[in-house]
Amino acid sequence: MEFQVGTVKNLTIHVLPTNRFKTYAMTLFAGTPLSEETVTSTALIPYVLRRGTSQFPETIQLREQLDIMYGAGFGFNIVKRGNTQFIQLRMDVINDRFVDSEHSLLEGALRYMGDVLTNPLLEQGSFRTAYVEAEKGTLKKQLESIINDKIQYAAERCVQEMCEQEPYRLNASGRLEDIPQITAEALYKRYTQWMSEAQFDLYVVGDTTLEQVTELVSQHFKLPDQAEPIAYSQADAHHPVSSVKTVVDRLDVNQGKLNLGLRMNVSYADDDYVAALVYNGILGSYPHSKLFVNVREKESLAYYCSSRYDAHKGILTIQSGIEFSNYEKALQIIEQQLEEMKKGTISDTELEQTKAMLTNAMREMLDSANDIAGFDFNKQFSKVDRSIPAMIEQISQITKQDVQRIAAAVELDTIYFLRDRQEV
Amino acid sequence: MDVLNYPQVEETLYREVLDNGLEIIVLPKPGFQKTYATFATKYGSIDNHFAVGDESPIKVPDGIAHFLEHKMFEEPDGHDIFATFSKQGAAANAYTSFDRTVYLFSATEKIDENLMTLINFVQRPHFTEQNVEKEKGIIAQEINMYNDNADWRVYYGLFEALFQKHPIAVDIAGTVESIYQIDKDLLYRCYNTFYHPSNMLLFVVGGVDAEHIIELVKQNQAQKSFAPLGEIKRFFEEEPRQIREQRKVKQLSVSLPKCMLGFKEPEVTKQGEELLRQEVTSKLMLDIMFGSSSSFYQSLYDQQLIFDSFGHEYNCSEQYAFSVIGGDTPDPDALIAEVRNYVENTLQAGIDPERFERVKRKKIGNYLRMLNSPEAIATEFTRYRFRNCDMFNVLKYYQECTLEDVNARLKEHFDFDQLAVSIVVSPEK
Repeated sequence: MEFQVGTVKNLTIHVLPTNRFKTYAMTLFAGTPLSEETVTSTALIPYVLRRGTSQFPETIQLREQLDIMYGAGFGFNIVKRGNTQFIQLRMDVINDRFVDSEHSLLEGALRYMGDVLTNPLLEQGSFRTAYVEAEKGTLKKQLESIINDKIQYAAERCVQEMCEQEPYRLNASGRLEDIPQITAEALYKRYTQWMSEAQFDLYVVGDTTLEQVTELVSQHFKLPDQAEPIAYSQADAHHPVSSVKTVVDRLDVNQGKLNLGLRMNVSYADDDYVAALVYNGILGSYPHSKLFVNVREKESLAYYCSSRYDAHKGILTIQSGIEFSNYEKALQIIEQQLEEMKKGTISDTELEQTKAMLTNAMREMLDSANDIAGFDFNKQFSKVDRSIPAMIEQISQITKQDVQRIAAAVELDTIYFLRDRQEV
Repeated sequence: MDVLNYPQVEETLYREVLDNGLEIIVLPKPGFQKTYATFATKYGSIDNHFAVGDESPIKVPDGIAHFLEHKMFEEPDGHDIFATFSKQGAAANAYTSFDRTVYLFSATEKIDENLMTLINFVQRPHFTEQNVEKEKGIIAQEINMYNDNADWRVYYGLFEALFQKHPIAVDIAGTVESIYQIDKDLLYRCYNTFYHPSNMLLFVVGGVDAEHIIELVKQNQAQKSFAPLGEIKRFFEEEPRQIREQRKVKQLSVSLPKCMLGFKEPEVTKQGEELLRQEVTSKLMLDIMFGSSSSFYQSLYDQQLIFDSFGHEYNCSEQYAFSVIGGDTPDPDALIAEVRNYVENTLQAGIDPERFERVKRKKIGNYLRMLNSPEAIATEFTRYRFRNCDMFNVLKYYQECTLEDVNARLKEHFDFDQLAVSIVVSPEK
């Protein structure tokens, strides 16, 4: 499962030739440092790029191209990993053998992605003002809508409070207050800077070769001749906690959301990463985990209670939805589980179940073109060599003592509670 | 064992119906690591009034199918079946929809054991007064979670506005009040009716050998005895053709109002493959009219009346059929007026032939891309099978669909008397 790697200017190409899928799947990762100054304008870039290219200036024309390519999928998302803000462009298109298309669909898709990324519609040397203004409105609505999903809102607020002093407090899609000041000229300036500073990695999985993709990229991506990519910096995953922070927000809600933020002090690049995955599995990422069993099954306090390990930042979050009046009780049970992990109260069954589940998840990745690409990219990003078979082997070697060692370093940082407006 | 070849999509299905009525479908995917299996009963939230054979009909509390799904995971020894799946490296789950309940796992190892675990736990109910009571707190929290979800609320608001009698307008999970009426005897009554093998479908997709899987299931079933089940009768009050109310407004704190329009088909006369054809034609029509490459979408987007959340769908079964159009908007009334106006104009002008061809291509491509996902195949195949149609015919129906079909559908579907609107807005401060 090795990718073939090549480069075209400042873009690294990774191709996995395979005929297992009915499609060609393409993902472009473009990463720049996550910072207050640029987070919002960078996030706005893909919104504007999707509106028009120099060949297809009108949005309808551009979208029709996707319909013509048998409903090629095109989308973008904006995420953060550690100290880096990523814009990801995704495309997938069916393999030509299933339809009688007059043109190569792989070429069509790469041309589309190349045009959208590097050949945007320009008017008087800048983006079209109407597109920039409309997309500012869309991004604004997007950021405002976070509050509609209370699970996501609580998760976001918890991390924001916990990482108050770190770039990670920022939402990858930016800040509302920055939007009004962004002009078409300023955004275009940011775009050209971004094209030079970002690290670009393009993944293609499907029935093709590195040579073919390299040629198509050379042809259809107008990349800058003089780029100055900024190397990825790894987030500081080791972060001592001086005192536990408690935050309560009040909104019109029916259910309370209790979220905890913890410092794992282990990151993706560390040797202990695999042991940290096992820790998270025993604590809270499965239905056999301590959180699910104790908070939900034994006490009936919640429908969901789980943990999530963000390895690129070295933090662990716990989330649960409860009755307002059960705050103390739920918190006490959750803290009890963290304590049991430290004491090493872990049964052989819990360890074996977790290992089996992690191993299965690793193997399942091989069936998904996007997962295969994502796994490979994490290695590039964290500059650490991992392979799925090696990780499966490492998982099998993890002992209770390893998990307890991880637990010893875990520190509770922030307790966040979203509740109703009634005074207690 | 039947072998069904679909050369156009390069898939082969193996099918067997056992003596006890259980239908097994296997779709081998050579080269895949993962096996995904679903064990489904044709029993969902709408099946709340029923009888078997000559027994007297019973009406059961709202949310009971979903409650039953939760309770299946508890084993007679008090264990949680999740623990067994975890030990065998399988990720297991279940869900309840309007018309079916589905139990599933995905795994890369111990496929035979996991498959037996799946079948055995679903065929081994264990309800006690105590374990039924315990579940009520958990499900009450699940219901509260959905009550805070604006997308869910606006969706249900539309069902409530469209339907007068049909239980599709009742929340799948029920209400906090209705679930407290559930007890173990009611659960057994539902279980014994709907979990009979003759009402169930097992679908296995992945890197497996079809004959081996079918043999394994056959042996498993041979060890169990199921008394023959009489015919399951499901009772639905006759649904009037009219909608219940034109406008339903709910309050929940949201950043922007949510607004959905629905057109209810006045009569549902089609079944099986004919229904599938209607679904395909309707979906194509809606995408032509409201898809993100349509001029209507772009014009509303430019006016900032809609955003990326704007979408459309078509739902149909043998009992109900309706379209859904909408999303977030700062001005629900302006959006409603725009849609009405546009539908009227389209009824006059008909569908643009070039756009028809482009969107037809898009739909064909989307369907083929869906076949990359074993999970999607299992889900969709089961959904269609319970409606007596074959998912693999969808491609053919898209290919056969003509401009005339879509224009005819247009005239048939859009009737302003059948229009209802659901809105969620923030409470006034």
